[in-house]
Amino acid sequence: MKALLRRFLPHSLAGQIILLVAVALLVAQMISFSMIYRERQRQILTGAAAPAVVRIVDALDRSAAGQDIRSRVTFSTSKPVLRGERRPDIERRAADMLADFQEPALQVIAIADDVPMRANRWRALRERAHGDHDHDRRGRRDKRLTMAVEYQAGKWVSVQSRLDSDPPRFGGWLIAQTIILYVIVLLPLAWIGRRLARPLKDLSGSAQQFAASGSADPVEERGPGDVRELTTAFNAMRARIFAMLDEKDRMLGAIGHDLRTPLASLRVRTESVEDEGERARMSETIEEMNRMLDDILALARAGRSMEPVQKVDLSALADAVVEDFLELGEPVGLIEGERVIGSVRPQLIRRALRNLIENAIKYGDRAHVTVVAEDGRLRIAVRDEGPGIAEDRMEEMMQPFTRMESSRNRETGGAGLGLALVRAIMAEHGGTLRLANRPDGGLEASLILPV
Amino acid sequence: MTDRPHLLLVDDERSIREPLAQYLQRNGFRVTAVENAAEARTRLAANAIDLVILDIMMPGEDGLSLCRHIRETGDIPVILLTAKSEETDRIVGLEMGADDYVLKPFSPRELVARIKVIFRRVATGGQRVTAPDGASYAFAGWVLKSQERTLVDKDGVSLPLSTAEYNLMLAFATRPNQVLSRDQLLDITQGREANAFDRAIDNQISRLRKKIEIDPKNPALIKTVWGGGYTLSAEVRKL
Repeated sequence: MKALLRRFLPHSLAGQIILLVAVALLVAQMISFSMIYRERQRQILTGAAAPAVVRIVDALDRSAAGQDIRSRVTFSTSKPVLRGERRPDIERRAADMLADFQEPALQVIAIADDVPMRANRWRALRERAHGDHDHDRRGRRDKRLTMAVEYQAGKWVSVQSRLDSDPPRFGGWLIAQTIILYVIVLLPLAWIGRRLARPLKDLSGSAQQFAASGSADPVEERGPGDVRELTTAFNAMRARIFAMLDEKDRMLGAIGHDLRTPLASLRVRTESVEDEGERARMSETIEEMNRMLDDILALARAGRSMEPVQKVDLSALADAVVEDFLELGEPVGLIEGERVIGSVRPQLIRRALRNLIENAIKYGDRAHVTVVAEDGRLRIAVRDEGPGIAEDRMEEMMQPFTRMESSRNRETGGAGLGLALVRAIMAEHGGTLRLANRPDGGLEASLILPV
Repeated sequence: MTDRPHLLLVDDERSIREPLAQYLQRNGFRVTAVENAAEARTRLAANAIDLVILDIMMPGEDGLSLCRHIRETGDIPVILLTAKSEETDRIVGLEMGADDYVLKPFSPRELVARIKVIFRRVATGGQRVTAPDGASYAFAGWVLKSQERTLVDKDGVSLPLSTAEYNLMLAFATRPNQVLSRDQLLDITQGREANAFDRAIDNQISRLRKKIEIDPKNPALIKTVWGGGYTLSAEVRKL
């Protein structure tokens, strides 16, 4: 039930307010309608019974006073035999009215039938004035009402009168009224809702964009005062965060430059070392420090890429990266598949794939790369032939500065930033990095991208 | 050029300038080392300099500005030293007319190798190496973007290229309708990433054909010239 409600209830603030008001309006309308309906039914019955009751009372009064009875009233000493449709509702109302006239009846019978009655003059006049003379054609003709009253035991009086056909439908009127009410109340409400919802939507859109890509445009300040205030505060916060990130970038740039200069100096000086093996090891260490510096800077800048998103043939991208490794004689293979196109930042994806392949070679001897589109997602997978990673260490492996201690490859180096960087790049693309041990051995690292 | 080429080394960092000058001297060059752009201008005016090695980040006038000055006043080759690895910095440097660049920390051997490549080109009267200056080249429905090392097809889909494929494609795009022999292609493409081009030219050609030709068996763009080499048979527009 809850799930059902959640599914069909509107999620937005404006939608929920509008729904609430609409339901409240409908309930109020129905209560007022039922009251009006009851009152109207009473009036109709009174209107139907009144002429007959008045004439009966008049006739009884006159007969009691020994006067002439002018109305067309019939007295009898037995229950009159009447055919037609009994109207208990009219009977009850007539009994009440007779009681009001101090003429309590023992029994009242009201019968309606289709025998037309000649309209009296007043009525005919009124109907003509209202252009109401075509009743017959609309099938709403008047009926005849015959009322018999047992006013004393065994003594009956009966009278005939005109009975109005059913009054015009009431439901249509209710619907029309409700619609008018809705238009008057709900349209302005919807307008206010939009005024409220649009700036809120802009705000959440901007915040989401910021979370996903690390950049967002300032939000236009509009809408009601409190929403406008929120937007202003959000924009101020955004500007502050941007200033901090810019500051960080400048600082990292400076650090990068200042560390590379002494490294470069050291690198040049190693050339004067006589021992060739020593010289090679020194320059290797410097190279490694430089790579770490690169990774640290790249990770610190993650989410602030200047590179635009573009449509890229991911199969060709994987092919190009693999080819670069093959040029260096590395054991890497591409398993060719269908052409897969995604919207990505190609330099970043190249870097992510390079990191995965480097890991696969380092820890798993060989790298096999595949690119597939599956389940509405794009996947670039790198499989290796190594021992894999224990399940409980996988999450840890993606954290910065975590390195895998492999028995065979102790001197693998690196700052342990490779996977952290890949994960940051994936996050920037709204994708994920997935690590999984394959059932037939080896690790499979996948870059999973949204289509 | 004398038998000992004269290099001008401009770097404000003494810790790099001095050992590097010594290293270059040991490798058979005459080296004049200065610490700022003003001094470099004086030396350029007074001496016959064969090649300038220039640090980009210097207090006062920076390396890029000096590089532009050198390019405006003469034809002396320039190699930039840069500590920043951002792609844009390299591109800017090459737009300023530098012939090559090395990233700090660099291997002095590699620097010497690059100096020799430039001198060989100058000696053989070869063209200045066409640097990837951030330009794009349009041909036959394709666009080669040098900044991103990708080919973009008619539908706007990028096809990333490997380093070797890219170097080769750039060589063709900057010399359309010229017949390029295998040796020439090796020479043109080698300067940039020397160790990344060991696989045979023919192999790379066939990979490129697979990417850009409608029928790779019957190439219409990269044609084989019998007994000569290859040629890009297309009109190329520089964007």
